[in-house]
Amino acid sequence: MKRAMIYAVSGLFGLGIGVYTALAMSGLMPGDRRSTEGIEINGWTGDLTQGSSEASPYLRARIARHGLLALAKTEAIYFVRNTDSDGEPLGEDCVYRISGGPLPAGWWSITLYNETNFLPDNNDTALSFDATRSGDGDWSAVISSSSPAKGENWISSRNAGDFDLTLRLYMPEDRALQRPEQIIDPPKINRLRCAKRAS
Amino acid sequence: MSKLFGPALFGLLLAAASHFSVVHFAPGFIMDRAMSMLEGRGAELHKFHLAERTTPQSQSVVRASPDLAYSVCLFDFDQAGSELWVKMAATEDYASLSFFDDQTNNFKTIRGEGQGIAVKLLSPEMPAKNENSLVSPSMKGLILIRRLAPTVEDYRRVSAIAENDSCRSVDG
Repeated sequence: MKRAMIYAVSGLFGLGIGVYTALAMSGLMPGDRRSTEGIEINGWTGDLTQGSSEASPYLRARIARHGLLALAKTEAIYFVRNTDSDGEPLGEDCVYRISGGPLPAGWWSITLYNETNFLPDNNDTALSFDATRSGDGDWSAVISSSSPAKGENWISSRNAGDFDLTLRLYMPEDRALQRPEQIIDPPKINRLRCAKRAS
Repeated sequence: MSKLFGPALFGLLLAAASHFSVVHFAPGFIMDRAMSMLEGRGAELHKFHLAERTTPQSQSVVRASPDLAYSVCLFDFDQAGSELWVKMAATEDYASLSFFDDQTNNFKTIRGEGQGIAVKLLSPEMPAKNENSLVSPSMKGLILIRRLAPTVEDYRRVSAIAENDSCRSVDG
């Protein structure tokens, strides 16, 4: 009887460890917001096997939760970033300027998501910024919870809490797929100011 | 000490088995739930359904893009037929027709490039017929059309185009 109990406890412990490590390594734990595990370019993380059967089982599980129905790399590549250029987490309390230049893709967009991987609950109609508004050269947009000065491009973080940004490059150029770290120059995110939090 | 070897090995084996089971089955489980949820939101079996414009209020899938219009067709060869005729109507701007199996893998994407696309999707047991046919790796999955539609006006224009999309069982 005692021996059976030892086996039962050991088995339960093993099951718990197995499930926990699987959930943790696959990004399936509540609150885990990492959606990729491959390359990192200037703070933006992405994985070129996303959406394909080449992806590791862990990445596939992670994508199923955080980026379901992602396209394969020849059609789109995805990068995510949840910190500013100083490495601080992105949050609704702060105002940021995101800026960059042309990107090696037929079309691109940057979209803000909250910590549950959904668009934040607001009606500002300013949830993303994309190539159709960027022009051919350098561009910038303000990320803030209220509308910026007239004439500024805006990504609204109202009701987002802690958030991240997804950069989508549709129809990526071949050179970007072959040498992403050398070719892709993702946008920078500079923190302009933060509201003082009540203590 | 040797008395604990058996229980320790048993625990390790269960840890490994449960670990790999969770990792292996998670995508299929999540895809199944996503398909059920999409069905609850109007997506249909073997028929394209244009989702509402993606807004914070209408979003149903994680990380949907508010700049795109999505048309979804769920397929299940266990329910009807072994061939599905899929047509994406031509769009001037960016459009793609993508196929996902029941493990979330994007097993094929065809870009519109201003042209309409017609392709036959075959069930896993069918042999590929020609370049316009495609064999699904799984019996169930979904087909997704993405069209560029960053504004309300764009979405209205795309809505009219999407009426000409088609996803229907050929033989079921």
